[in-house]
Amino acid sequence: MRIGVFVCHCGSNIAGTVDVERVAREALKLPGVVFSDTNKYTCSAPGQESVCSAIKENALDRVVIASCSPRMHEATFRKMIAEKTDLNPYMLEIANIREQCSWVHKDREQGTRKACDLVAMAVAKVSCDRELFTTNLPVERRALVIGGGIAGIQAALDIADAGFPVTLVERESSIGGKMVMLDKTFPTMDCSACICTPKMSEAAENPNIEIKSLTEVESVSGYIGSFDVTLREKAKYVDYDVCTGCGLCETKCPTKKIPSEFNQGLSTRTAIYKPFPQAVPSKPTIDAEHCKKLQSGKCGVCEKVCPTGAIRYDDVDRVTTQRYGAIVVASGYELIDWTGLYGEYGAGRYPDVITGLQFERIVNASGPTEGHILRPSDRTEPKTTVIVKCVGSRDPNKGVSYCSRACCMYAAKHAHQYLDKVPDGTCYVFYMDVRCAGKGYDEFYMRTLQDGAIYVRGRVSKIYPEGDGLVCMGEDTLSGEIVRVKADMVVLETAMVPSRGSDVLASKLNVQRGPEGFFTEAHPKLRPVETNTAGVYLAGVAQGPKDIPDTVAQAGAVASKVIGLFARGQIESNPMLSKVDVSRCSGCRACVDVCPYGALGLVQANLRENSRKVTRTVCQVNEGLCQGCGACSVACRSGALDLLGFSDEGIMQEVEMLCQ
Amino acid sequence: MTANLTQQIRDRARDLLQSGTVSCFIAWEPARFEHWRTPVTIESPDEVDRIVVDEWCDQLIAKYALQRRGDGRIGMVARGCESRAVERLVADRQVSRQDVYLVGVGCTGMLDRDGGAPLKKCEECQRRNPVTYDEMVGETVEEPRPYRFGEVDRIESMEPEQRRAFFDRMFSQCAMCFACRNVCPACNCRSCFADAERVGWLEKDFGLDASRYWGLMRAFHTGDRCIECGECERACPMGLPLMTLMHKQVRDIDRLFGPYEGGGLSDAGPDPLRSYRTDDVEEFM
Amino acid sequence: MSVTSDAVAAEARSRAEGAASPEGGAGSPWQPKILAFCCNWCTYAGADLAGLNRMNYPADIRLLRVPCSGRVNPQHVLRALQDGCDGVLVCGCHPGDCHYVSGNYYAKRRMMVFKRLLEYSGLRPGRFQVRWISGSEAGKFRDTVVSVTEQISQMGPMASDAPSLEALAGADALLEAARGAGDAR
Repeated sequence: MRIGVFVCHCGSNIAGTVDVERVAREALKLPGVVFSDTNKYTCSAPGQESVCSAIKENALDRVVIASCSPRMHEATFRKMIAEKTDLNPYMLEIANIREQCSWVHKDREQGTRKACDLVAMAVAKVSCDRELFTTNLPVERRALVIGGGIAGIQAALDIADAGFPVTLVERESSIGGKMVMLDKTFPTMDCSACICTPKMSEAAENPNIEIKSLTEVESVSGYIGSFDVTLREKAKYVDYDVCTGCGLCETKCPTKKIPSEFNQGLSTRTAIYKPFPQAVPSKPTIDAEHCKKLQSGKCGVCEKVCPTGAIRYDDVDRVTTQRYGAIVVASGYELIDWTGLYGEYGAGRYPDVITGLQFERIVNASGPTEGHILRPSDRTEPKTTVIVKCVGSRDPNKGVSYCSRACCMYAAKHAHQYLDKVPDGTCYVFYMDVRCAGKGYDEFYMRTLQDGAIYVRGRVSKIYPEGDGLVCMGEDTLSGEIVRVKADMVVLETAMVPSRGSDVLASKLNVQRGPEGFFTEAHPKLRPVETNTAGVYLAGVAQGPKDIPDTVAQAGAVASKVIGLFARGQIESNPMLSKVDVSRCSGCRACVDVCPYGALGLVQANLRENSRKVTRTVCQVNEGLCQGCGACSVACRSGALDLLGFSDEGIMQEVEMLCQ
Repeated sequence: MTANLTQQIRDRARDLLQSGTVSCFIAWEPARFEHWRTPVTIESPDEVDRIVVDEWCDQLIAKYALQRRGDGRIGMVARGCESRAVERLVADRQVSRQDVYLVGVGCTGMLDRDGGAPLKKCEECQRRNPVTYDEMVGETVEEPRPYRFGEVDRIESMEPEQRRAFFDRMFSQCAMCFACRNVCPACNCRSCFADAERVGWLEKDFGLDASRYWGLMRAFHTGDRCIECGECERACPMGLPLMTLMHKQVRDIDRLFGPYEGGGLSDAGPDPLRSYRTDDVEEFM
Repeated sequence: MSVTSDAVAAEARSRAEGAASPEGGAGSPWQPKILAFCCNWCTYAGADLAGLNRMNYPADIRLLRVPCSGRVNPQHVLRALQDGCDGVLVCGCHPGDCHYVSGNYYAKRRMMVFKRLLEYSGLRPGRFQVRWISGSEAGKFRDTVVSVTEQISQMGPMASDAPSLEALAGADALLEAARGAGDAR
């Protein structure tokens, strides 16, 4: 064994508190170490060069680099060894003498002694290292995008434009998500539908995109490059291959009093319906729950009037399984149900207390009031409007503790729109803080103030009816006075929460969620769109509250990750996996029970034992599924399972070296 | 146990062997000295008269089934402990339940071959009747379910130094003969960690550290599966109170993740250390 | 083989004395040796963050990186405690945050039972500890190291836990009482 130890100064980062020359000298006394050296910056080009030439000149077969955290540069040094030497890149251990030594200990003697110990432990471990080899796993170049909001649409378009097929799954009957419900977008005030619907039809027309509406993910198995995903496409009762989307059925359907989800309950729709005129797919579905024919068998009007005979009352759910190389989660958000949380705001009893999204529909030219600002109760124009921010957000007692990020801006937008359409109106905005970080955002807020919006700093503590209006009571915390505002309409800017079913989706995908329920990215700064499950990416509010520009940017970033994966066409497997010694395995199944990835299974194996052929049950590792956690190697009592790269022997040697 | 139990078992064994239901039948036979009984595997109906089943059958015979794996169905006398041992072997996938034919008997406890005192393991017994069987011979017996944690209570009430002294003395007497492992129905691995040639796994020298390592690790490996048959303690040539380590873990598991009565019970669910609940009690935060 | 009670006591005493004059040479005070098994994704990252923030903590701790707290075999822990560590710490992600979904849940159950078994068999409480420390909890990591180091320092070297001759003598009587009517002869 010929081990080389390289101790890094890291400028003065390490050398300032650790006597690196002494660490290098001490290392030479360790068993197996034939060479040691120090380096100003080991990770720099000249540093790497000197390590590589030392490896060659001294015929080293194992390397210990004492430097910063392995989380920082282990990959760098592995790559260096693989590319510039003949050594196997896994014959390397890093001793972390910076983050866990020189930066946290001030005493030079103590730091140096600890560094010597850490190097000794790394030397002990490297002596047990074995050559490991990666294999290349093929990547199915097809992406699944879960969620057809703007995040999903943008990601699907970008991936499809690179030439790869995409399945865009949406559980509602049309893609478009929340953005298509909005009237205008801040701060430029472009019409939301005018910029969103072209994207929707672009997605519909793109030959690489298959849109599956009314579809949910049933189950997911496999791993990066080859996820087998089962999708359930709910019965639509309309044959989309035959339907032309003429809309005759909608006009004739006798069941007309169903609250429209798209218009947030402010208008009604029929039982066979398209949620909105520009829906994609641009074809209707039957809402089975409200359809007379499907509920009681009596009606059948739509079938009679349909000129192409597209109605299928006997339609059933279709379950299909397809292989995908990557999965994009763009499952979006919904608004917190404030009615159950804020009794003091009337808990939904007062019709003129509406949510921001309802306001968007009211102010929209194609909405239920055709763009005239009329309050729901009596369809009159409200002369005084109160906007309440942070309903649910930043309220850990009743709602959620986080900031929903977009509300400050859309509250300003609502104030602006209201004052624009009701020039003689008065608008109050109750706020906790005004957070308008973003390009052109603060300017927009200032403009709203100039429009005449009256900002009152404080939470609204109570809303109660008085006459034909409402009174909002709250404290102006800047003046310390109790404020009572008589309002004709109140708009609550409610918190964004993860869309329903996120928990189930997370467990199907084996992706973690944070305490607030949004999906967790692999690293908050450096890997913001990846998850800890390789091959699963996050776009949009599914990852955390954000506005449209951020969502679109993130969707583009996800697409570039997916395209990068597909362009490589294969992935290098992690060779630090579990390994089974079948001669010691009893087939007791303990490992199978604890494996979170289903990577272990029992198989019948033909073995030769005591010069006899025997067939018995032993465990087998699926190298595609194994992630190298090592839980099985501890569950295995006999020690038949071991984890390559963190072997029992390596860990024990480290322990024993430390104890010496 | 009734006087004619031996005859009843002989009759059943003969029938089962003659009809081909089982290929062999595991029971006990008299050994060299009075009151000594030793396990026997009967393969022919002509040999069933060797069988003796009485209050001197102090050994657990279930583990002998492992030696007959693949030889057809194995007949066996099953008291509470044998039945739990078979359930254990089934849960560990070492035999399948259909491969074993259990002739159940209720048991009122065995006696020490030297002096005739009741065996400690039988005095602590929680299941005198078989928890699973294919047929019963004789009546079931009452289950007194005696308190078995008296020793644990006593040791838990000691100061750490006293406990350390107690186990230092205990482990220093260990002969590292592995008899505890060899009789244990939960020790059914094909190869034991103690026999692995792996650095640090188990020292090959004798000494307090090595025997403590062996004693604690064996106890831990079987702790969440132990059927509390007490065979380790009975087989220990040094007479060490090994069951105290097992009872300790069984009670801890019951208190922490319970309710738990020990391994080898048909309705015990997955082994406690092979499963978890997200709302498990938290003490490491 | 036979080990007499005197031999055991002598062995224990000599180890205790050996620890009183550590390798550091005459004059240098005894310093505890504490091994911390840390999961790569949370606690090891938290320790790195503590470094990044230049937090200060005692230098007696040595981190051993493992992929997951579920990778830590109780055998590693026992070996470390037997071979000369004065304290062992096992750290992992918060329950629910395991990088490998469930590794820390299994570790939690294993370590809860194993810790009780060790302390039952005479290990002084505090010598073996388990903590969940996330990648962002640099402060918690520092505080944990400080408190564990303090506890172990107060306990003194592991060898000082060796029972006194009186305790060993008393243990013989207890052991006799605990013996069943076993095969001992």
